[in-house]
Amino acid sequence: MKKKYIAIGMGALLAIIAPGLVQAEMTAVDDATLAGISGQGGIYLSGDISINELGGPVEDSYFGSCEELAKKCGARFAYQLKENGGWMVLDEIRGNFAFEGLTLRVRSINSGFGGDGEVFDGDVLELGLPDVIRFHDVRFKIAGSSMARPSDPGFRQTDIISAEMQGNVIMEGNLLVFPAGTP
Amino acid sequence: MSRALGLECYRYTIFAALWLSPLLAQGELRSLDDSALATIRGQSGLSMELELTASADRIAYFDDGNGIYLEDFRIGAASNPNQQARHLINIDIADDASLNLDYIVEDRRIEFGDIRLAGAPGVSMGGLFFDHNLAGSLRIRSGGATGSGYYFDSAYSMTDGRLGYRTNGNEVFLDDIAMTVEAPGVTLDLIDGALAIYAPSLIGSYSIGAVRFSGNPANHGASRDIASGELLSSYGGFAGDFDLSSNTAIRAGGRSGEGLRIDNQTVINSANFIYRDDAQQLALRDISGYWNVVDLRMDVAADWQGRNALALTLGRLNGELKIGRIEMGANGQSLGAVNLSFLLEDAVYSGESYSNVVYLQGGGHPDAGPQGLRLATEWSLQRADISYTENGHRVIFSGLQSWGRGDITVNVTRDSELNGTRFYDGLRIGFDGVRAGYRLNGLRVGSEDALLQGGTELLLALGFYPAYEFEMDGQLTLGAGGASGEGITINSDVSIRNGRAALLAAPYDDGDGPAEQKGLWISDLNYESHMRDATVDVTQNGLEVVQGEAWSTMDVGNLRVGNKDSGASFGRFVLEQYETGSSMVISPGGAGDVCAGGAGADAASCEASGGRWETRGDEGLTIGLKQILARAESGGRRNALTWETNRELDSSGQLVSNSGTRMVLNDIHTSDGGDYDGDGTDDNTFGIQTDIAVDVYQTRVVKKSDGADAQGVVGARGDEKIMDPSVAAGYRYVAVPGPEELASRPLGFAVNARARFRELSVNNVDLVHPVGGAQTAVYGVSMQNFDIKANLTATPMP
Repeated sequence: MKKKYIAIGMGALLAIIAPGLVQAEMTAVDDATLAGISGQGGIYLSGDISINELGGPVEDSYFGSCEELAKKCGARFAYQLKENGGWMVLDEIRGNFAFEGLTLRVRSINSGFGGDGEVFDGDVLELGLPDVIRFHDVRFKIAGSSMARPSDPGFRQTDIISAEMQGNVIMEGNLLVFPAGTP
Repeated sequence: MSRALGLECYRYTIFAALWLSPLLAQGELRSLDDSALATIRGQSGLSMELELTASADRIAYFDDGNGIYLEDFRIGAASNPNQQARHLINIDIADDASLNLDYIVEDRRIEFGDIRLAGAPGVSMGGLFFDHNLAGSLRIRSGGATGSGYYFDSAYSMTDGRLGYRTNGNEVFLDDIAMTVEAPGVTLDLIDGALAIYAPSLIGSYSIGAVRFSGNPANHGASRDIASGELLSSYGGFAGDFDLSSNTAIRAGGRSGEGLRIDNQTVINSANFIYRDDAQQLALRDISGYWNVVDLRMDVAADWQGRNALALTLGRLNGELKIGRIEMGANGQSLGAVNLSFLLEDAVYSGESYSNVVYLQGGGHPDAGPQGLRLATEWSLQRADISYTENGHRVIFSGLQSWGRGDITVNVTRDSELNGTRFYDGLRIGFDGVRAGYRLNGLRVGSEDALLQGGTELLLALGFYPAYEFEMDGQLTLGAGGASGEGITINSDVSIRNGRAALLAAPYDDGDGPAEQKGLWISDLNYESHMRDATVDVTQNGLEVVQGEAWSTMDVGNLRVGNKDSGASFGRFVLEQYETGSSMVISPGGAGDVCAGGAGADAASCEASGGRWETRGDEGLTIGLKQILARAESGGRRNALTWETNRELDSSGQLVSNSGTRMVLNDIHTSDGGDYDGDGTDDNTFGIQTDIAVDVYQTRVVKKSDGADAQGVVGARGDEKIMDPSVAAGYRYVAVPGPEELASRPLGFAVNARARFRELSVNNVDLVHPVGGAQTAVYGVSMQNFDIKANLTATPMP
């Protein structure tokens, strides 16, 4: 294996989500190396995904189509961390992103990784990351709200941050996911 | 020909005459006037008119001392059991010494009230009845294939037919059957001790007006309910035609001792099959294929549990079935073509031998009454390839194997609770201790000898696991009548234990013989599923399934990666589902014209936006799903997801459920976002609506690094994969493909999907400690106003 990339951020994220059970590591494996790996097959995914391109299915005093400037046409995600407390909200979620070459397969590792592979001698779920993810007009707001539903009586909301993403994100390598700890 | 052989041939001739012509005529001789005689062919010879009733309390067949009894046998009028069936037969000897029979049969019923096996007291298989009018001819002459056999030319038409099966006073029957058959030049010979029957051409058509159900014991073989006068509810009707040729050999001798052996080769030159539901139809057109039956034996023998049965044991069955078009919907649009090749033969799976046998026994479900069918069944599908072709693009699901063993019961039941078991109206198929499994080896694209690739996990989108082993009990009752008019109503209860299903799976044989199938497995699976009043109808849109109420619990003991039994585990996952009024519509036609990676209604505007304009054709498959996730109800039915880790081990080293730490997403449900009808609860009619259009189409696959790939094919990062049969690997990499090369992009699945929901909520997210109990981490999650569109291509990888 000539190249090795470590995505600390994503690994750390997964480590937070699943402490002690799931481990994930990002490595780039060239195509020739794959030829020597048992447990082949899998799928190669490409495509584009858009969220609320023209609006969502709700039509009320708050939500509407994107042509109605007085209304919100994005999606809304709200969660409540305290009983009878306020709601954290990701609001007006919209946008499009495209990717090419996301792969998915199960892979056996019993060599490489600077000698760690031989010690590991196990199977992993391998997500081969797409080289480029293109973001187009991806946007959302982070807000605090008194209600989960904007249509409920007493609804008040304070927008905290607005975010917008354009351009390409380069993601090389593979994300290896494998269990560890007591199941 | 010796006298003994001649007598044997004569006996076989009589047998064959009865087989070729649906005549079972015995009875009194009556005069026929000239005017009646003029209505049938032939003006000379012997004419007979018979008004026939015949009955027998019991007809017995013995095989090595084991008996099977056909009880309450009767021939008479179909319209009135006390009257006679009319037969009109003209017998003529032609100049070439051939025997010509012209016959008319009116209003005849042939019936067995029950079928019993010796040594099985108190239970029976139930009764069969067959009503019909017939008009036909049969010509017999000497010759045959060997010169010392016989020729037969047969043709007949049947009208007003009924074929029914009755258990415990309930019956299901094919109603209003019309059929024509022509079988010229059939030969009958005695060859090497076998009765050899060769039918070079068997051409016919059929129509079944309705398949009806009756749960009223007072009804028997009638289209209308005797109490209400209403037509009995119907599953729908069938129609079709066929052009076959067939070669059959029948020998004496069962699998052990006495019995019967049958070998058969049949070629389907052409056929069509149409299922009708009210005014709509689902049609399988341009059917062709063949099958070879080798060493099928019939015995009366005991099964593996020592139960007496009529045993059908198979040496081998192989064949191929091609369906040129699968049409449905108002415009008769096609899903595409399907080709199935198969081989059923003894084989060993996971160290255990399986063969193909069915032991037919009486009884059915023990609580349903004494009559019913119990089929102790074992099967071994050693290999099957299923290909799907749409708009000229072909994908083959290669190397399907299936095996299993267990009891399958069949009863016709009515809505009632008997001996503590709930039954529903319809044909009940029960599963009693069935241990079974299947696995797919991989995908091939284009042809059967193409490179074996992964990608079978793409079937997950259609609800099929790439590999699955399980133990199953339960029932599926198919009732008559759909959401409106004809159709099918389903009530089912299924319990699966010790299941192991693959979410991702490598080939089980990549050319070097069977090997461990690595994958991502849901292991130690226990699954309970219940469905009430689901309806299946063919509509203007396609095939429509509407669930009444459905709930299930999928308890995945371990989600493993690698080996299905010993792979490392991510822990235990429990998925509980509770849906009311969910639906699915399967429609012909895929995505059509698509702008992939851009936006635009035509090629120019799409490409101007940076997208790729794709014309995916008029065939393909579109699935429309509507999932109404109901709120948790007091009986415990709910939608929830639980993840458990750090479980304790019991004294035998097994992980103990609910002994570890759990995260629970509780009461996941959909909503319309408010109480608009004023009934005090939020409306829930929109649910999660998902439309998925699937096409087999050329996809863009780029190389992700410089150098040689897994197959040793060299290319640079960013080069595009182009299929090329002239090179050893079957493909090469091209930096800038030209128009011809772009037309040779690899085939994959193109999925155009759209998912929408108004509101999807999680009531609470709890963290549960085995000692400390549950603590709520999140007091509510609410997602609103989502409309997600996706254009995805999924390409299998070698």
